[in-house]
Amino acid sequence: MSTLSFTLLSAPKQAVNLSALIPSKLAGLSNGAIEQIVLGDGAHAPRVGDLFTVSGTPGDEIAISGASPLLDYVGAGLDAGTITVEGNVGNHAGRGMKGGKIVIAGDAGSYLASTATGGLVHVKGSAGDFLGGTRPGDRFGLLGGTVVVEGNIGQRAGERMRRGMVVTRGKFGPAAGSRMVGGTLWTEAGFGPRPGPLLRRGTLIGPSVDELLPTFADCGRIDPVILRILSRYVAETLGALAPKALPPMVRKLAGDRATIGKGEILLTA
Amino acid sequence: MSAMTRNGVTIDDTFAEAFGMSGLGLVITADTPKWAMISAQVMTGFGTSVIGCGAECGIDRELSPSETPDGRPGVRVLMFGFSPDALVPQLLNRVGQCVLTSPGSACYNGLESKTKMGLASGPRFFGDGWQTAKKLGKRRFWRVPVMDGEFVIEDKCGVTTEAVGGGNLLILGRDRAGLLEATEAAVAAIAKVDDVITPFPGGIVRSGSKVGSKYKGAIASTNDAFCPTLKGAVKTECSPDTIAVLEIVIDGLTSKSVADAMRAGLKTIIEIGAAKGVTRVSAGNYGGKLGQHHYHLKDLLP
Repeated sequence: MSTLSFTLLSAPKQAVNLSALIPSKLAGLSNGAIEQIVLGDGAHAPRVGDLFTVSGTPGDEIAISGASPLLDYVGAGLDAGTITVEGNVGNHAGRGMKGGKIVIAGDAGSYLASTATGGLVHVKGSAGDFLGGTRPGDRFGLLGGTVVVEGNIGQRAGERMRRGMVVTRGKFGPAAGSRMVGGTLWTEAGFGPRPGPLLRRGTLIGPSVDELLPTFADCGRIDPVILRILSRYVAETLGALAPKALPPMVRKLAGDRATIGKGEILLTA
Repeated sequence: MSAMTRNGVTIDDTFAEAFGMSGLGLVITADTPKWAMISAQVMTGFGTSVIGCGAECGIDRELSPSETPDGRPGVRVLMFGFSPDALVPQLLNRVGQCVLTSPGSACYNGLESKTKMGLASGPRFFGDGWQTAKKLGKRRFWRVPVMDGEFVIEDKCGVTTEAVGGGNLLILGRDRAGLLEATEAAVAAIAKVDDVITPFPGGIVRSGSKVGSKYKGAIASTNDAFCPTLKGAVKTECSPDTIAVLEIVIDGLTSKSVADAMRAGLKTIIEIGAAKGVTRVSAGNYGGKLGQHHYHLKDLLP
């Protein structure tokens, strides 16, 4: 499997759109041609060669060395293959991705995997606000696929998320799952204050909630079969990245009853 | 018709004539193997012949917890019908009345196939608006609140139009008890073959039929040629010493699975049959013009 490497020459001075750097868009191009690709729009948009040295051959894998919070849209629109980033990335990484895998060794900015429909994003650091969320004009946030974050996640993760799964070893920030329509948010450390405002459907799983909205109804301890299905699914699809299997019993909080209230917070501890 | 003899059992030089059908598979799980089996048995009950039951149903095999989506013990059941459309009401009624109602049950797709049909299309509405779906990867699971928790049912199940119904063995004997024992052993051997069921009671039919009847309105009637009590009165297929004839009917998801099942049954009959009074093995056909699949016994000999 061939790897195409991009090594950052120096930190960019303005936000750069890296959505052009995905395997399917670079297939068959020479390194010289790749260096000529303009990253983003605008009169001052840089070319790849202005920011990176390009080495290797185009194939299924892209490796980006060097980190900057100004590297936006890393792996946006990815359909297949793997993108690995040595360090931090900016906003909108994995936006609209359909498949493949993005591995970010550092932190990710806001709107990670917004409107993605498939694939896997693995962030070894923390992630910013509106993970899997909506930007103005988007109907839904995350639509499929899986995001695994090993650190903490900012506020309003899963904003209007419809499907897919977000897993974190750390905590979700305030208002996780806000206006969520479906899908699963799963934390091993707990939720920050007031998760699930206007949660319609969808599942928030975690050991604790810092502060519960008054519009969630306590349904007591339950042992539904879906817990087993979820545990088995993450173990099979995520392997070592999977969260710990769910306990046989959880406490269900149904809400948000300020709206249709078919969502749930499942407390594992 | 020439015949072969194997281990004291005569094998007719004939063939089983079987039909193309549509088939689907389900995985039924429960908290214990006992309750998965109860649900599967009830769900596949009254599913012997597509003529009178709407579908031919049976249990393929038991599944260990590691083989099911929820890690609980399960049973794989198969259903066969004339077409996917003909299976729709059968699936709705059988799952709705026999699986949904069974304590602790869950119901999943049990057949990977490009063509799918709705599995939860009806049963999920039992939730009266409280049902929710969880899509994991490519599979969508419906969660229907019920009195012992939640009934989980997968949204769609695979259906194949490559299935085969009506593979068969006719086993003739000169001792009724021994014949039944030998036929039971053949059914047990067939049960070990994947993707097939033997839909009749205990896997065995004693009332093989022929097409048509002297009575208007009856589309099938007794296979008089194999009725030992008529052997002097009709053009009989029985041997002079035939006391009883039993038939094993086999439905499978593929033609190969039906052939494998017939091979397994034939092997068992040949191994143990003679000692138990089995004299001959034959097969049912309609002259070869009705069914698309022909299984010649001579090709299936061990």
